[in-house]
Amino acid sequence: MNKHISEQSRAKIFSAINAAAPTLTMDAKTIQQEALEILKESEFARPKLLSEDATQALMLRIEAGLVIGTSGEKLITLDDLPNAVKQFFSKHSLPQALKVQGIEQLQKLNWAGISTDSDIQQDNTVGLCWAEYGVAETGSFVVHSSAEMPILLNFLPLYLIAVIPKSKILHYMDDYALIANEIAKKGETPRNMCLISGVSGTTDIEGVLVQGAHGPEVLHIIIIEDQ
Amino acid sequence: MQANKPEDFYQNVSKALAQPDLKKIIRRTTDKAEAKRAEAIANFPEFDNARSQGQKVKDHTIKYMEHYLAEFEKNALAQGTIVHWASTGEEASKIVLDICRQHKAKKVTRSKSMLGEEIGLTHAFDNSEMERIETDLAEHIIQLAGDPPSHIVWPAMHRSREDVVKLFREFHADPTYSEEITDLVRSARRDLRTKFLTSDIGISGSNFLLADSGSSCTVTNEGNAELTITPPKVHIVTAGIEKLVPSMAHAVPLLRLLTRSATGAEITQYITFHNGPKRPNDADGPQECHIVLVDNGRTKMLAEGMEEMLRCIRCGACMNHCVVYKHIGGHAYGSVYPGPMGSVLTPHLNSLEVANKQTHACTMNGRCEDVCPVNIPLPKLLRSLRAQSWQKKYEPLLNRFVVQSFAAMAKRPRLFQLLSSCGVIVMKVFSRKGWIKTMPFTSGWTRNRDLIEPESTTFMHQYKKMKKTKNGGA
Repeated sequence: MNKHISEQSRAKIFSAINAAAPTLTMDAKTIQQEALEILKESEFARPKLLSEDATQALMLRIEAGLVIGTSGEKLITLDDLPNAVKQFFSKHSLPQALKVQGIEQLQKLNWAGISTDSDIQQDNTVGLCWAEYGVAETGSFVVHSSAEMPILLNFLPLYLIAVIPKSKILHYMDDYALIANEIAKKGETPRNMCLISGVSGTTDIEGVLVQGAHGPEVLHIIIIEDQ
Repeated sequence: MQANKPEDFYQNVSKALAQPDLKKIIRRTTDKAEAKRAEAIANFPEFDNARSQGQKVKDHTIKYMEHYLAEFEKNALAQGTIVHWASTGEEASKIVLDICRQHKAKKVTRSKSMLGEEIGLTHAFDNSEMERIETDLAEHIIQLAGDPPSHIVWPAMHRSREDVVKLFREFHADPTYSEEITDLVRSARRDLRTKFLTSDIGISGSNFLLADSGSSCTVTNEGNAELTITPPKVHIVTAGIEKLVPSMAHAVPLLRLLTRSATGAEITQYITFHNGPKRPNDADGPQECHIVLVDNGRTKMLAEGMEEMLRCIRCGACMNHCVVYKHIGGHAYGSVYPGPMGSVLTPHLNSLEVANKQTHACTMNGRCEDVCPVNIPLPKLLRSLRAQSWQKKYEPLLNRFVVQSFAAMAKRPRLFQLLSSCGVIVMKVFSRKGWIKTMPFTSGWTRNRDLIEPESTTFMHQYKKMKKTKNGGA
């Protein structure tokens, strides 16, 4: 029944658009060319970064308080990560309970003394994830859903640490869109691509900003220089 | 709160103006949004270029809508999404409810989508055997209060903190007894957490539909969209066909404009692209993904030369800057979409006969057009709807008589000047200390504010006198 309604509506919608502005018979390449022309304007229609160096621009953005609820630090190598996490626990007076994303480069680190598979539904557990990319323009990290990346790891904990390899920090959102396009060409588009720029916040009660609405209240971004 | 009807606009306005605190409550949020937007634009010198680019993206997509819709459908199907089409809101709601029933859903979570309100999805669920759970904090508040939304970005802006305290104490399983806003938000977090994780179906809207990949994109600052969509086994997207853009790269300029215009933030915290159901080995995500593409008056707008309105990215800047909205709030419009954009949209989603009065709720000061991130000429569109309403004789007889009488008088300069001079004399009689508090036939104005005393003579009289003096002096 619904299939029938849907087919009828599809025909109605296409016929109404066709009557107003027919384009389906147009050459797809011409349309694509026009669409690409619009993108050439991006260079003059986006904000200047705080530094020409993408990593520096991302860090400056965080330090200036422009990324809600977010702090940042740089580490020389990945081996320094467990110590940095311990300092994070201490700063926020948290028990040493961590939920680490199940990827080899994070799991193989020496987490001595830290429980690495705690329940992320507990508000004192820290989530730790490996970002695919960073974006300097918006102070974002990007995660892709996969077997090793549960999307909820980024949304359930009250405290979240995102690790970004320095080599994967992009200047602009446009640069990420180009990468997403390349991934699509290979037929490897993940179900979710999330650009996360700060913590979960709301201004729904009297316009007052509160952090930790449904997801993290505190976000710490760690950039690994040799990755 | 019973939802107002658009045809009762004047009664709705009287009701709104009679609420002593409403204006103060509305301005608390809209004035803040206005100031923050101004700051964000001042920090973005490229804004005019971005606006021009954003407009081009939308105009291009609307021009080739037939092509892009077909592309979107093809690519969404290839991702494994099941695509549905709905000509009307009623059809769209029926499709959504039928999917939920096929899956024997008991609990349904929903992240904020104005389209969901537009197609009557909230009411459809409330009249069903299923439990609807709104997950955006503002939508959660108005669901508990039984209110319709009063703003497209802050749907609960008409509710004060005291109202929220009462609602949460009554409805939350583990409520806070504090009146601090942070504690209230924590109370909602606790209450919604289990509901997110035990929901059968997650429903979202979409800020953008990407034609080249068949993806939908959600933009939130709470992260409730991802929490709504990820745990349940089925994800349903409802989206208007005007949400299309050619690709992710084309969504980027619009993302730059959207949050700066809406809340004054440079970017919103969570931008997620959803590409069909979960992949075989994914750690989480829904097993089934549906998208319902909705027309509900949009192709009619295209056919009637109102395609500029299809550029709208639902930022709410026009209502934050509208002097009428700031006085009467969103409920008075009797529609899901209030303010200037709502006054243009509602006649198409409903009918001009029902929603013509809203087109007059505008001072034509042009602020809505000035702040629109995609250059929608809202005053021009409102004028065009007023003209249509006049031609179709939807205006009340008294209004028609007054306007026609004025036109007859204005076309006869001598008569116009004579009557204007008489008008000035009459107004002077009713004036006290420079203000007129009451006068026959002006109660529509003087009921809520005073009328300023006019000059001693008419404009034409003063103009002629000035010209004479100037010529005499030369």
